[in-house]
Amino acid sequence: MRAMSRRAAGLAWVVPALAMVGVFVYFPLVENFGFSTLKWDIFSGSQKYVGLANYGKLVDDPVFWKSLGNNVLYTVVSIAFQVFGALVLAALIEGVRSERWPRALRAVYFIPSAISLTVAGLLFYFIYEPNLGVLNHLLQGVGLCGLRHSWLGEEGTAMPAIIAMSQWQGFGYSTLLFAVAIQRIPREIYQAAAIDGTGPVRRFFHVTLPLVREMTGVMIMVTISGAFQVFNEVMVMTGGGPNNSTQVLGTWLYRSGFVRNDFGYAAAIATVIFVVTLAIAVAQLWVARRRRVEW
Amino acid sequence: MRPRALTAFAALAGTSVLVLTGCTGGGQADQAPAADAAASPEYSGTLSILTKFAGDPTGPYFENLAAEYEKLHPGVKIQLIQETDQSIKDKTKTLTASNALPDIYFTWTGNWAENFVRGGRAADLTGVIGPDTDWGKTFSPGALSAFAYDGKNYGIPLYGNGKFMGYNKAAFAKAGVQVPKTFEELIGSCAALRKAGYEPISFGNKDGWPALHYLQQLFAYNVPTAAFEADLKPETAKLDDPGYTKALGQFKTLVDTCTDTRSGTNGVLYTSAQEAFADGKSAMYYQEILEFDNETAKGKLDPDDFGIFQLPAPQGAAGDPSIVEGSPEGYLVNAASPRVPLAIDFMKFVTSTKNAQVLSSPPYGQPSTVIGAVTPETSSKAVYEGIELVNKAPKLAAWLDTVTVPEVADTWLSGGEALITGSRTPEQVLDSVRQASAAAK
Repeated sequence: MRAMSRRAAGLAWVVPALAMVGVFVYFPLVENFGFSTLKWDIFSGSQKYVGLANYGKLVDDPVFWKSLGNNVLYTVVSIAFQVFGALVLAALIEGVRSERWPRALRAVYFIPSAISLTVAGLLFYFIYEPNLGVLNHLLQGVGLCGLRHSWLGEEGTAMPAIIAMSQWQGFGYSTLLFAVAIQRIPREIYQAAAIDGTGPVRRFFHVTLPLVREMTGVMIMVTISGAFQVFNEVMVMTGGGPNNSTQVLGTWLYRSGFVRNDFGYAAAIATVIFVVTLAIAVAQLWVARRRRVEW
Repeated sequence: MRPRALTAFAALAGTSVLVLTGCTGGGQADQAPAADAAASPEYSGTLSILTKFAGDPTGPYFENLAAEYEKLHPGVKIQLIQETDQSIKDKTKTLTASNALPDIYFTWTGNWAENFVRGGRAADLTGVIGPDTDWGKTFSPGALSAFAYDGKNYGIPLYGNGKFMGYNKAAFAKAGVQVPKTFEELIGSCAALRKAGYEPISFGNKDGWPALHYLQQLFAYNVPTAAFEADLKPETAKLDDPGYTKALGQFKTLVDTCTDTRSGTNGVLYTSAQEAFADGKSAMYYQEILEFDNETAKGKLDPDDFGIFQLPAPQGAAGDPSIVEGSPEGYLVNAASPRVPLAIDFMKFVTSTKNAQVLSSPPYGQPSTVIGAVTPETSSKAVYEGIELVNKAPKLAAWLDTVTVPEVADTWLSGGEALITGSRTPEQVLDSVRQASAAAK
């Protein structure tokens, strides 16, 4: 009886936190789904129930599919650079024998991550500017005038230009995390591998890679999840244009709601983003629960 | 904790959840009480105002007026929320959706203002600013009627606006170019201006709407007025007049022939294009009257070298060549505000002849809609000339991004961008707008 009472008292302490989470996290999710079934006029405040019509509209909306495609492209490039590229770089940095250089290199690569995405977006907007931008001037300076572009103004180059900026910004952070993971690998394993005659490349594939598998898995999930929540850099650099070529789900949601006044449809896009990121989060939890590599 | 206390605690927490969720649910606009606009103001409390005057040179205008008004009425505090032309759209909609509009807020004419009127969020000011009232008589009738819906007056017009091609007279003289009288002459002059060392027309379309300004004026020239006006409303729109594709083609020709950035124009900020003109690098820049005084403020472009002309109409166009693109801009009073009389009193102060003249003069250069405020003495030559052309125009064509419904305007916007990059033909752009308009019915 006493044990039950103590359990109940413990539960009572948790109730306020649960209530807060319920109100501020879960209730908005449920309410958002509710909004996605409405045609909502923000001016008059009128709300008309339309069932799943907004989801049907998603299927026929070419900009939605373009946005989803851009998110997928963002994901693929980010995994290549911010996971595997960063892992290779971290291994190279940690492979430097000097004490001082790895520390300095880690700091150098990390600096872009300390800049906010909005500021980085603005910075790169001016780098990419067709008339005054550094990039076009550099290309002209080295005689590659044919490669000059209005990087953010052409449909073919705008999305790659934004993704490139994002890789520059996020690359150092991933490198730092991988560097920490590599530092945790006992040196004796590398020494034993070296005595067995393995070169640096084989050591990377047969020692480093398996022993940072856990971190790699987590980084992949975090990168995918982040790639589906992209918003700031696109808003600052192109606003989704030209001709919706750089729309991602986040910006199309925003444009549907705040520009096109279609808040019900925007809520439906938000639900899709939630479902995608929830699936990724579940996968992340599943990966994290797998048996850790022990040494 | 005892079980009974636990139950009570849990019940309290549950109730809190329900109360909080109850607060966030619904989303209905507050039913605006019929505000007594003619009542005497009570000079106390905080009056909030959302303006479009953030940044230079307009930022200090409302700041100075607020300080002056607070000095006149010590019980009143003015809370200014100043936004830019780009950010005010999002800010206003966010405040609308959350039922948090300030007492006074900026508006464009057309569908933009109509939404607030239709939604019951704008106070009916007919009794105080109607054309027959003392205050109403101080405004130009055209500006006042631009904010009238169903015979009622809702808006307080602050300044008039129109779009004109600004040109550098010295550049034209150097290139041996005359002010063009037709669209074809304009296009023809670009080669000579380029040869003289100038970018003929600087144009930045990063935000999309600058292209809509060209398009709206060209539509007015190429599409018969009755069809053009019917096409702005999805209920009556057909969008089948051949003038639309002609106008879209003319716009594409202008971008490809007269700008240096051509198909990359979407990557240029409109302010960069404005700077290029102000710095004397480009010979022309299509701009609003509100921008005129900015061009010469840096001192690189001599005011005597700055001229304006209406974007010339194409030869034989089927629309109306006398239509000028432009519309007044102004303010609405929140119908749900508990301080409507005070809000009106403040706006009367803002639109007094003295303050209207200050607004029309450099460095602000915003031509007031108050009769007699814009004169050759109070305003710069270009601003005066521009507002005279607007006042003389038999008809104005309001901005395409605010005059039609947002879904259609947004489709025009992405269509304009696609036309610039060359990814869509005029026919494809028009077809996408037709579909958007049909869906918005």
